[in-house]
Amino acid sequence: MNRRISRLVLGIPAVLLLIAFVVVPYIEMLTMSLRMPGSGMPYGVGFTLGNFGHALGDPLYRGALARSLMLGAVVAALCLLLSYPVALHLARVSDRWHLVFYVCVVSPLLVGVLVRNFGWMIILAVDGPLNRLLLTVGLIDTPLRMLFNQGVVILALVHVFVPFMVLPITNALRNIDGALVEASASLGASDTRTFWRITFPLSFPGVQAALVLVFVLASSAYVTPALLGGQAVALLPSLIVDQLIGALAWPFGAALAIVLAAAMSLVVLAFTALSRPLAERTST
Amino acid sequence: MTEVAIEGLSKTYAQAPVLRDVSLRAASGELVTLLGPSGCGKTTTLRCLAGFVAPDAGEIRVDGASVLHLGPAKRDFGVVFQNYALFPHLSVFENVGYGLRVRGIGTAEIRRRVADALAVVSLQGLEERLPRALSGGQQQRVALARALVIRPRLLLLDEPLANLDARLRQEVRALIRGVQQEEGITAFYVTHDQAEAMAMSDRVAVMRQGRVLQFAPPREIYARPMSSYVAQFTGEANLLPVEVLGAIAPGRYRFAAAAGQGEASGPDGIVPGTRRLLMARPEALSPAGIGLPGLSVTVRAMTFLGAAQQCDAATSDGIALRLFLPPNLDLDPGADLVLDLDPEHAWLMPDEAP
Repeated sequence: MNRRISRLVLGIPAVLLLIAFVVVPYIEMLTMSLRMPGSGMPYGVGFTLGNFGHALGDPLYRGALARSLMLGAVVAALCLLLSYPVALHLARVSDRWHLVFYVCVVSPLLVGVLVRNFGWMIILAVDGPLNRLLLTVGLIDTPLRMLFNQGVVILALVHVFVPFMVLPITNALRNIDGALVEASASLGASDTRTFWRITFPLSFPGVQAALVLVFVLASSAYVTPALLGGQAVALLPSLIVDQLIGALAWPFGAALAIVLAAAMSLVVLAFTALSRPLAERTST
Repeated sequence: MTEVAIEGLSKTYAQAPVLRDVSLRAASGELVTLLGPSGCGKTTTLRCLAGFVAPDAGEIRVDGASVLHLGPAKRDFGVVFQNYALFPHLSVFENVGYGLRVRGIGTAEIRRRVADALAVVSLQGLEERLPRALSGGQQQRVALARALVIRPRLLLLDEPLANLDARLRQEVRALIRGVQQEEGITAFYVTHDQAEAMAMSDRVAVMRQGRVLQFAPPREIYARPMSSYVAQFTGEANLLPVEVLGAIAPGRYRFAAAAGQGEASGPDGIVPGTRRLLMARPEALSPAGIGLPGLSVTVRAMTFLGAAQQCDAATSDGIALRLFLPPNLDLDPGADLVLDLDPEHAWLMPDEAP
């Protein structure tokens, strides 16, 4: 009984923080999304469902939503491909090297978001170092236009989200008993077979958590697409910011934000439901 | 039918030798136990056999052919691990059938062979359970079935009973030995429990600090240890410094100690006059008949154990002796006692007495 109470007490700060900075703002935003648009001011008098009708009915916003979700999925998938081998390595290295590799993996997060993105802009600029290198080597004749397209947005997002993928997967891999891999080998399984039948399924709880994390972060990313994506790609987060700050249409902006959050939640729910049989078997 | 020969196996980890010139043999159908304290090299020897560890030097031959160049997947050995090492995300059926699926065997035959293997370990009806829904004893049975179902050339068991409680340990021990003998599989068994080693093995290798001290059948290890370490590791052992007076028959000698004279067994060729350590198990000592000669001791302590009493006594020169007495015998500490020594169970060890 005492332990239960002390556990509740320990939870109070986190709960208060969530109420103050997640629940209350969401209620406020939901209320805002139902307000009438105003003229000459952020919102008008009275309530309406019209903002949601607009957000879901306009092909511009539907397309931007689809692109944002797709961007999240692609970035998550690429991160997984790049991160899994790193995580395998990190899970195996001795404790002395573990710290060194750990710092290397986390390094993208040690640079602020603006510095990181301006860094990409400098490196990839038409007269930037990468183009100059390629010209000098002779691989290209004219400088490439590498900035302001979807590809570079994906590249930059993958770069920064790899740590979010590597760390949970490494953790999951470190929790796998080495005797299981030996048992599989002693039963005649090749290394490849052992990986797909034993190691990968048992690391799935980490993979699942990492995929959700990166998908949500990438789908809702604002700064990187805004700086590196240019005008070519309309993604929902930047359209939301346009509404809130540019057009000063708070109710409509709030409705778009709610739509984005709901859509991401649906994707995450669907993914968790589909992968539940495996996750239930492999979580310890 | 598989014969195994291990010759001169050595392994060093970070300048610390864990195996030094280990040589062992197992005849077909034999269960060989590697017995010793933790860090003696018994598990490393088993891991070399399984192919998880490559020895620095030495040779492992199975039916005359070296297996050192083969990875664990190519050796066809069944391995049973201390912590069971069942695949937690696979059902009992999938665990046991794993080695068969890997070998590309058809579904119908897998089903039949898994059913047979589960019948051998009395686990029918649990096919669809996940390992975590099983008790420790059931998990180790699944692990045994999984190792046996591939019809391995060799069965390797790494302290398979260590995580089970005492009652289950007896049960699974009998099961392992029964299946091993019935199927005639050659097996290597690692344990630190001397009773387990005595009960299960055809031959026992007592190991210490990476070396095999003695490799012999359990009865010989117990009755004719080659060193005081082996004597003490394989059971209660009284060690008494004596002077050998002379041979009275082949392998039988008369000796003198401070506590008195007696007869004991020993290897051939002990020169009269040499000082040796006499090893006497507690069951070799009993009170002598009234007026008969023997070893004079003083009782130090009596401990009632139920079926017997443990009697701790000492000779006049301070050598402690332990023996077991019938539970109804009334003796108090301080009482003088003359002990009869059964020469058959008293052994003059090669160690020179101090």
